[in-house]
Amino acid sequence: MEFVAQQIMNALSFGAEYALLALGLAIVFSIMGLVNFAHGEIIAVGGYTMVAMAALSLNNPLIVVGAAIFAASIGAVTLERVAFRPVRYADPTTGLLTAFGVSIVLQNLFLLLVSPRPIAVTSLYFLEWPIPFAGLRISSLQLFETLTTIIVIVVMMLFLKRTVLGLAMRAAALDFEMVRLTGIKANRVFATAFLISGVLAGIACVFIMARRGSVDPHLGFDPVLMAFVACVVGGFGSLPGAVIGGFLLGAIEVAMLVLLPQSLGGMTEAFVFGSIALLLIWRPDGILTPPREKGDKQ
Amino acid sequence: MTLSRSQKRGLVGASLLAFVLIMVGIIASYFGSKYQLRIVYGSYVSLMVVLALQVFMGNARITNLSHSAFMGIGAYAAAICVTPVAMKKISLPSAPWGLNAFALDPVTSAVIAIAITAAIALLIGLILARLSGIGATIVSLAVLVIVHSLFLYRTDIFKGNQAFFGIPQVFTLTSAVIIAVIMVYVVRGFKESRWGIALRASADDEISAAAMGVNVHRLRLLAWVLSCVLLAVAGIAYSYYLGTISARPFYFNHVFLTLAMLILGGMRTVTGAVLGTFLISFGLEWVRWLETGPHILGLKFPEVLGLSGVVLGSVIVLIMALRPGGIMGDREIEDFILKE
Repeated sequence: MEFVAQQIMNALSFGAEYALLALGLAIVFSIMGLVNFAHGEIIAVGGYTMVAMAALSLNNPLIVVGAAIFAASIGAVTLERVAFRPVRYADPTTGLLTAFGVSIVLQNLFLLLVSPRPIAVTSLYFLEWPIPFAGLRISSLQLFETLTTIIVIVVMMLFLKRTVLGLAMRAAALDFEMVRLTGIKANRVFATAFLISGVLAGIACVFIMARRGSVDPHLGFDPVLMAFVACVVGGFGSLPGAVIGGFLLGAIEVAMLVLLPQSLGGMTEAFVFGSIALLLIWRPDGILTPPREKGDKQ
Repeated sequence: MTLSRSQKRGLVGASLLAFVLIMVGIIASYFGSKYQLRIVYGSYVSLMVVLALQVFMGNARITNLSHSAFMGIGAYAAAICVTPVAMKKISLPSAPWGLNAFALDPVTSAVIAIAITAAIALLIGLILARLSGIGATIVSLAVLVIVHSLFLYRTDIFKGNQAFFGIPQVFTLTSAVIIAVIMVYVVRGFKESRWGIALRASADDEISAAAMGVNVHRLRLLAWVLSCVLLAVAGIAYSYYLGTISARPFYFNHVFLTLAMLILGGMRTVTGAVLGTFLISFGLEWVRWLETGPHILGLKFPEVLGLSGVVLGSVIVLIMALRPGGIMGDREIEDFILKE
């Protein structure tokens, strides 16, 4: 029983991390059709901000967390302004390759300006302690991660449904030209999308850093790879799809970790990706995308 | 068989490119030091990879990120077949299925490696050809990760990140030039064939092409398998020259490097593939020299590790922002010489 509860908690916290990142990817993709491969580097920006905070001996946890999230959001908005504006109306392939380029540049800048080696960050260890709950011991970090993700999703839903800008963003995902005709500034919509994705990446960064305790130039690569897969599984560009895909992926990953024999330990990733490929044969456009004939008006 | 006008132009273009490739090879082998010859050989292998990539990406216009994995499959399959038994007893003492108990000649090994790669490519292609756009790209990414973790996991067959050594070094620069020249003709030939034209039409407008009777999925599959076969050849050329391989060169860094070559030159044309490869191979060599902190005009420059990555990434970003079609766009080499 305890084992099952623990694994469910694991699945939820893995899934929460993927969902946070997948949401950030999906909101950008839904509006400008950009597959943002540089998302992982935004996470790394947050991580290095924590290092900088430690160097300035600012150890107040609220300041560290706040600064990391702030830096990640500023980083994302800056990327939009500097790198992605020229390819704003280009086809997805151009955007994807641009994002690749940005990702390579940033990774190597971290390597060049900071260090190729991992740097330890200890200011977040306070997040982790065991909570006794109905005879079980639950990791506080996993609980925080799951709860935060749920809160974030609710807040985002309220923003998208209840505010004018949120309405504009939902409309922009369907027909951007029409949104511009109604007098909403395109720049604001794009900047907001990147701001949201940056905040989400910043929050994810806090949990990733609390778990790993160190930052290196490739910090965000593996989580974002999984987030991509989550997006594809859910249906690229669909926000509920990103959340469902993230949690589903977390569940599959934990299931593989539990079910696969010890000797196949190194193959977890391969099995996860393999099962995703099988899923895509069944629904090539992801779970949540309604079956649509090519050429249908969206 | 009569050739159409565009096919005749294609033949001229391919011959011009072949001439350039042969000249570069001749100049390199006359004037190059041993170290420089290795670099030139490396750039010819990159050229094979980029040409193979162009077959699928240039015609079907789907970004493929798994090409290094197929190059790795070809390289490892050939290496396992061709390495002498005595050597394999040392390097792969616990290989299953008697893999360390036989050795074949290089040609048979190459044929087997190509056949294995083609079979795997066909299986994956059956899934991949049904997807389009971003979905296909992400699945190709998944393929790369799966293949790489297989290389790392089965250390008894592939040796993981350790070197798989003892492969007979049967290739020289001449063999690489010959293979690259043949590949240029094959790739250009495919582009101008009726399949290539139909596939490019389907990339421009999938529904209209399908309405004209183009079987889009089957053509995509054809281009995919051809691309993977050429990648296997590149992998074989890589392992037959170096004599040692490991899993590391067949992963993300190589994917990005070759992708940058293709998009710099322009992925729609074969000329672009050749131009991009040579520009980045030789340009990067120069940047790497800067990276080590050289003395220039008596000034000591600092060591800047990671500069090559920054340059590579910036090249991709700038090309995408300024010339999304790459340097060549839609122009092939013969367009500069022949009249319209």
